[in-house]
This record gives sequence, C-alpha cells and structure tokens, in this order.
Amino acid sequence: MSPEPRFDELIHAPTRLSLVSLLAASEWADFRFLRDSLTMSDSALSKQLTTLEEAGYVEIRKSFVAKRPRTSVKLSPQGHQAFAGHVAALQEIVARSGLAVLPDQVS
Amino acid sequence: MGTFLVGKYIPEGEVMDIPPIDAELALAEMRARREQVVETNLVPDWFWRAMGGMMLAFVAAVESEIRWLITVGTVVFTIVMAAMLFALFRKTRLQVRQDLLGLRGFVAIVAFSVGLTAVGIGLGLTLDALSVPFPGALALLPVCLGLAFGGPMLMAYLRKVMLSRPLASSR
Repeated sequence: MSPEPRFDELIHAPTRLSLVSLLAASEWADFRFLRDSLTMSDSALSKQLTTLEEAGYVEIRKSFVAKRPRTSVKLSPQGHQAFAGHVAALQEIVARSGLAVLPDQVS
Repeated sequence: MGTFLVGKYIPEGEVMDIPPIDAELALAEMRARREQVVETNLVPDWFWRAMGGMMLAFVAAVESEIRWLITVGTVVFTIVMAAMLFALFRKTRLQVRQDLLGLRGFVAIVAFSVGLTAVGIGLGLTLDALSVPFPGALALLPVCLGLAFGGPMLMAYLRKVMLSRPLASSR
C-alpha cells in the first residue's frame, strides 16, 4: 500500500535528510558511523538526533561493548512512516513537474 | 483539503512549493545514502578469497596424514579464521534493513551455500569411492574457486537487489 504523500519539513533539512536516509536503510546504525558518514562533530550530530528523538522519529540506545560505551540509533516506526510520506511527497513533486525520476514505489 | 506542517496550515497544492529540482536532488541524496549503507554491509572480496584459500590449505594439511602438518594446519587455520572474522565484524557499525534483502536475496544466499556444499560433498564422496588420493582437497578445489569468485558475484547480486528496493519502508 502506498503511503500518503506528506512533505516533512523536519526531515527535509539538509543534514537531517542525510541522517534519516541513512537510518531508513538500516535496522540500526552506530553513532560513530553516522558521525563519520556525515562528517559532523559529536555535538552537532547529538543535537540533530535529539531533535529527531523529540519528534519521536528515532530511538537512541546506549550500551557497553567490551567496557566501551556504544550508542546506536534506529528509526522508529513513526520515523519510517514520516520518511515514507516524505519520499512519496518528493516523488509527487517530481512527477508533477515532468522531470525524469527513477521509479521507486514505497512498499 | 489541506495539511499542517510544523504547526502551519498549508492549503492543498502549496505543499508542493519546493522546486522540483530540489525534490529530485533530495531523492538522489536518499538513494546515495542507501547505497552507502548497502556498500558498508557487503562482505569484502578479500574475505571470500582468503576463506577459500584457508579451507583448501587446511584440508590438504589434514589429508597429508603428517602429524605435525595437521597440528600446524589446525592451529594456523583456527587463528587466521578467527582473525578474519574479527576483522570483518569489528567494523560492523550498522545493520542493513532486512526487507531490502527480501526473498530474492535470501534465496540467492541459500542457493549459493547449498550449491557449494552439495558440490563439495558429492565430489568428495565420488572421488573417495574411486579411491582417488586426496579426495577432500580435490573436492574442495571447485568449492574454494566458487567462494573466491562466486562470493564477490553473490555480493554484487545482493547489492543490485537491495538497491532495486523502494527507498522507504512503511512499517
């Protein structure tokens, strides 16, 4: 079933778009992977993640692996839904304009 | 009918205010990030070749029936395999979304594993029945070639499958 197109300003901000896109393709991702992939500082990434967490879009888990702290992040079901709606909205914009777009339906 | 965006009411139609080129660029960024996640999760080519080579060397050492060679072979095999797995999983910093793999990906992995196992066992038993020397090592040769060359091909196929999936999952 296709999700309802729903443009999401929270996701569309450039850094968060990249961040949520990484999380949308993952079951979970390590904080360091996100930081390195997006070439951000720890504090800048934490700030973005807090914004997304407050919106209910991500879940942040802290654990210890071999006595080292590890922070992992996953997109919540609400985050997946918002992302799916945003993808559909963007595809609709592109389709209406007649721009070529790769076929990509939301499952 | 309209919609609300961050507390602001936007009438229908006005939601589509962002330029289409920006929308397309955003979609391209989403696809690039998904590709990055998929690439990060694939087993590297060196692992397949090293695993094939190590298995062949280990079985050859066992079939030599030379005691010290068997001992050395077993120890080296165990240490190198453990080191390889450690190197592989040490850098695991994310898990790809499971539904990207889907049934096609799962079937490909099972077919690859079962196929190589069947070839190895079938050939080994046949060579043994024919009293050919070193049946295990000889039977493992095509299996190792399958790992060394088929492993990267399997990864390329899984990459293609995962990138052909929809960008978003509505779960």
